[in-house]
Amino acid sequence: MDRPEPDAVLTAEPPAPPAEAPVQRLDPRAVTLWRLTGALWWAFWTLCMIIPWLLWEWPLALMLPVAALGVAWTVWVPAASYRHFTYQVGDVDVRVMHGWWTRRVAVVLHSRIQHVDTRQGPVERAMGLATVVIYTAGSVGAMVGIPGLAERDAELLRDLLAHLSGTDDAV
Amino acid sequence: MPSDAAAARLDADGRRLHPLTLVFSALGIARGMLWPAVAGGFGFGDGELDRMLPIILGVLAIPALIGAAAKYALYRWRLDADELLLRSGVLNRQNRVIPLARVQNVEVRQSLLQRVFGVAELRVETAGTGLQAEAVLSVLGVGEAQSLRADLLARRRAQATAAAVDVADGAPAAEPVDHAAVPPLAKLSTWDLLLAGATANEAGVIAAAAAGLLQFTEELPGDVFERVIRDAVERTEGAYAVVGIAGMLLLMLVGWMISILGSLVRYHGFTLVVDGGEMRKRFGLLTVHEASVPLQRVQAIRVEETFLRRWLGLASLMIETAGGSPGQRGGAEAFVPIARRRDVGRLVRGIFADAEVDAAQFQQVHPKAERRLRRRYLITFLLFVWAPFWAARWFDIQPGGMLAPYVAVLLPLPWLMARWQYASRGWALPPGYVMARSGVLNRVTWIIPDRKLQTLHVVDSPFQRRLGLSTLVVDTAAGGKQAAVIDLAHSTARRLLEELAVRARAAAIASRVQVRTRAAEVEAAEVEAGPGANDDPCPSDHLPA
Repeated sequence: MDRPEPDAVLTAEPPAPPAEAPVQRLDPRAVTLWRLTGALWWAFWTLCMIIPWLLWEWPLALMLPVAALGVAWTVWVPAASYRHFTYQVGDVDVRVMHGWWTRRVAVVLHSRIQHVDTRQGPVERAMGLATVVIYTAGSVGAMVGIPGLAERDAELLRDLLAHLSGTDDAV
Repeated sequence: MPSDAAAARLDADGRRLHPLTLVFSALGIARGMLWPAVAGGFGFGDGELDRMLPIILGVLAIPALIGAAAKYALYRWRLDADELLLRSGVLNRQNRVIPLARVQNVEVRQSLLQRVFGVAELRVETAGTGLQAEAVLSVLGVGEAQSLRADLLARRRAQATAAAVDVADGAPAAEPVDHAAVPPLAKLSTWDLLLAGATANEAGVIAAAAAGLLQFTEELPGDVFERVIRDAVERTEGAYAVVGIAGMLLLMLVGWMISILGSLVRYHGFTLVVDGGEMRKRFGLLTVHEASVPLQRVQAIRVEETFLRRWLGLASLMIETAGGSPGQRGGAEAFVPIARRRDVGRLVRGIFADAEVDAAQFQQVHPKAERRLRRRYLITFLLFVWAPFWAARWFDIQPGGMLAPYVAVLLPLPWLMARWQYASRGWALPPGYVMARSGVLNRVTWIIPDRKLQTLHVVDSPFQRRLGLSTLVVDTAAGGKQAAVIDLAHSTARRLLEELAVRARAAAIASRVQVRTRAAEVEAAEVEAGPGANDDPCPSDHLPA
């Protein structure tokens, strides 16, 4: 069967990429933040597993998978997540790339941003970090979040995006 | 301007809510805790009123007072020339910035009690699924709320014309249109509806439901059901299989009849008219439904062709809409329940006037997708073979001769299904639109205008990564499904992402130009008409999404 090559359908030359916006990373303390929350969850689940062992003498072997997962989520996953989390604020859009298992690239045009939040859970606040959440009119992909930013950086990013969204670039 | 951080501005000049927030917020929290409090009261008070009451009141009062005090102390808001700033939250501190250009609707609401005390709630909504207001200032003094509303709208209007808000095209027509004169876009006859019911996949679902009802046959008087079965078995001289299959076929026939009947009753007299920027449907036999959807709200069209319908050259069209007025959810609804395949282009153009869907050339996804599908279907196949075998062992029945033909019939399926599924997947980029297609038993084709694109994602699972594949996900403001093109080559997915981003932006700019031109026209008309001619103080208060 004769099918046209995809390249012929997409514009003749790839559209000139927007002047490459600098690739930003999260604050390095994000790793510590995730390690902390990972360890807290691990402690919680270990406690949950200890109770049946104490009361009903379930085999300790059941705790092994929990322990293994706990170690992974405290030691390895936060570092991997950090390595794979980047974002770029360009002239026309914001790109967020994240995920170590499933990798995602999300593109939000400035003109599609409805509003922007910064959010801080109690642990984040204690560490001086915050999350920026970008809201669009979309349904399922309506929120794009950038966690683990220094408080001040988060505020600046939020204000910048809100400003870009409200005015957008000139026609 | 992003000079001082919003936080600094809120600290300096942020306003608090009305002091009565303490009362109303406390009441709100207490109302939420009412049932647990009563339950606790009963539990710990041993049913004695004078012991229960203090417990209930205590359980209600303490969190209510603490919560209300925290909210009053911490909530800050501030209206700038171009933005609304909000700060809230105790454990989870939240700072929100809403650009005024994005505000769609501002409402001042008063409950009875609020009216008595002279306070009100201000709700600000932006575009989106409309389930929750983006800003709820509860409570402000009535005067303050109303002047804030007027202020907000005035500043937003200034923002909108100056900075060209991204609103889609198509303001409501200025003069009333003669409705009777517009010919319907689609009109379904009884025969059409019969076909619709006969070809719907729902027949299978109904048959399954009917099968489920079988368990109630024990309730039938006089063992009717069992006698019928025994008769049948005697007559066929003990061939259980034949009886079983005949029974299943009968159920499917019943399901089929119900589907046809349902379609005839539900969509009787279906008429669709597109007129004055709006789509109006009228259908129904017992209950007559009349629905109208502003064309603005349509985010995408979905063409669905079940297996049978494809063979007969029929299709079904749905629209995906965004929530409109506050509280109204978007979602999928029927556009034309059944239509001839060759009419699809014309019907789509009824809503998206410049869509050239018939001429669209679909691109394949990456050939390795077929490999992935084959693997997945093989696993399903193995389960289908192993399960009855295991069930037979469990029930101690010898499947014997039945098993070999069963496996033989199923064997080619993984390869066939993988091939069909792969062939069904495709994407196309007609000018101004993006189309995505997939599905074998039910082929779904998405048609999304560039101007309705929201966020774009490229996602890959580790399994896809190993094969160099990715999935492109396209999000619109419709509440509900997302369109996705699965298993593209990763590089193709990235290039498609860039292309769509460029197109979406171009579409946004184009519609902004339209808004500016129209705003200029309106202004010119007002100037011509003279002062006082246009009495509507807020002509652009309700901007469509």
